[in-house]
Amino acid sequence: MSSKAMNMVQALNSTLDFRMSQDDSILLLGEDIGKDGGVFRVTDGLQAKYGEERVIDTPLVELGIIGMAIGMASYGLKPVAEIQFQDFIYTAMDQIINQMAKLRYRTAGEITAPVVVRTPYGGGIRGGLYHSQSGESYFVHTAGLVVLTPSNPYDAKGLLSSAIDSPDPVIFLEPKKLYRAGRFEVPEEDFKVPVGKAAKVHEGDDVTIITYGSMVPTVMKTVTNNNINADVLDLRTLVPMDIVAISESVMKTGRVVIVHEAPRTLGLGAEISALISERMIEYLYAPILRVTGPDTPFPYKHEEYYLPNEKRVMAAVQKVLDYR
Amino acid sequence: MVEELNEQAQREKYVRGFGAMVLSRTLDKKIITAQRQGRVGFYTPSMGQEATQVGASMALSKQDIIYEYYRDVALMIHRGVPIDVLVDQVLGNSSDLSKGRQMPSHFMAKKYNFMSIQSPVATNLPLAVGAAYAVKYRKTDQIVLATFGDGSSSTPDFHAAMNLAAVFNLPIVFLCENNGWAISLPVEKQTKTEIWKKADAYGMRGVKVDGNDFIETFKVMGEAVQNARSGNGPTLVEAVSYRMGPHSTSDDTTKYRTDEVQEGSEKDPIIIAGNMLKEMGFLNDSVINRIREESVRIVDQKFEEREKIPPPEPESMFRDVLAEMTWILEEQMGDIL
Repeated sequence: MSSKAMNMVQALNSTLDFRMSQDDSILLLGEDIGKDGGVFRVTDGLQAKYGEERVIDTPLVELGIIGMAIGMASYGLKPVAEIQFQDFIYTAMDQIINQMAKLRYRTAGEITAPVVVRTPYGGGIRGGLYHSQSGESYFVHTAGLVVLTPSNPYDAKGLLSSAIDSPDPVIFLEPKKLYRAGRFEVPEEDFKVPVGKAAKVHEGDDVTIITYGSMVPTVMKTVTNNNINADVLDLRTLVPMDIVAISESVMKTGRVVIVHEAPRTLGLGAEISALISERMIEYLYAPILRVTGPDTPFPYKHEEYYLPNEKRVMAAVQKVLDYR
Repeated sequence: MVEELNEQAQREKYVRGFGAMVLSRTLDKKIITAQRQGRVGFYTPSMGQEATQVGASMALSKQDIIYEYYRDVALMIHRGVPIDVLVDQVLGNSSDLSKGRQMPSHFMAKKYNFMSIQSPVATNLPLAVGAAYAVKYRKTDQIVLATFGDGSSSTPDFHAAMNLAAVFNLPIVFLCENNGWAISLPVEKQTKTEIWKKADAYGMRGVKVDGNDFIETFKVMGEAVQNARSGNGPTLVEAVSYRMGPHSTSDDTTKYRTDEVQEGSEKDPIIIAGNMLKEMGFLNDSVINRIREESVRIVDQKFEEREKIPPPEPESMFRDVLAEMTWILEEQMGDIL
């Protein structure tokens, strides 16, 4: 396969472009995604290529975007909706929780809503309270949704392709801080990163660090700079979670640190920690530690204190390594 | 415009419509009684809205798509949804299309182009707009009907759907079944304007019709459907009737209203329809009585028959969450069952 250096924005764009060229049931809808190409330019050039009917500049109404996408999906189309910032999705939560996530269940599989909802999440761009949130727990907590988040251009391209083929509604969380965080060689052709499979992005025996999305580069930097002998798991799929990868690694290392940007209380780290404790506590040598955002709204001026960084990740790793 | 019918065709159409109204009313009463006897958990009767629903249904073609709400039994019956489907849902037995997962009144019938009903009001409206977009995109000659009550007109979903449908000029008809009450709140306290007038602000046609007059409703809906089908965009129809029953079997209307419309009174839409058809020479009292008796016989028989069907297996509650059962659900199913 020929490859090309792409950042995450270009990788996502290339998947949308290729898949739309193959299948006229795929439609995009969202705010400013057409002429403007999206505020982060993920859909740049697609309206010019596929027309206003397929790349729809919608009025400013998140619940309408999601609601429409559900109706489209029930009638054979494959809508890929963009919510401009994950922080803006909440007016659509009724549509997501009570319609999108429950349609298959309440119709015993006869009517489904295989919508892809793409939305940038997370901090690191000085976005303050309303352009920085990590709300993955809301979606993970709702039965009936698949939740994906890539951490690099390769996974972004392959996971989005899998999301488009998913028979289930997918919340596709794009770590906006990583949109342009460097170019990586990515195959030009369409390929898929499977749903439900974590990636082991670093191999080691002493500690398992479980992370995903925007925090993967932070963890990798910590591991590399400090020569930590760690297994690093990039979950990629938050629902359904890859318990096999987690179990194998934890049973090997017996020490676990979970890193995410979302606030700690009832963040995904709590669930992962519970899953590990319930099924393999006899393998653990140390308490499971979490490195997360604090339980505050996401601040504007002090985002560097909010976001987990090398120092905080290293401190937690050191603590579980030293635990006797 | 509504097709011109010769007298024979008109007689058949109207009498069939009347039959659907009576059958719907009969089923409502049967279910309410069964609820009082503890055989059914809950119900939201459609009583008082039969003429609105039959008039609307008469204006549709078979292939049209309906995003109905939880008080549309006459509409469903007139569209040909078998009584079995409705009774199975109310009983939540193993033949129920939603496998006993939804509380009663939350019907579905995909085969008859009825989508599935949710409890949070008006959230079906943006979905209906999406379906209308799909229909327009695929040029299928279908139109979408979305129904809702007067209370729904206050919701953000109503606003979103109306605006989107108008902006994209979609083949959809919004039918507000204004029955005067949203549980305990009268429509005068729901909104300061008449509901049909809101259409103007969205840039679509708005029409008000006497929802107790099924022929007038049929005509008004016919025009709205014709406009949708011919590419002239959406219409909001407000059909005014009265909620003759309680909001639900859990509701006590004496707490908040005294203007009850009694069944069989001159304000009852079925009495109104019967009188209209008698005047037209299409029905007489003995035929009306036969229709009523036949409805009772059908409903009683179906109810007896469907009550014998066992409930779904408990295992079925774990299915259809996602397309494939996740390991977490398999584990939880193992823990519980």
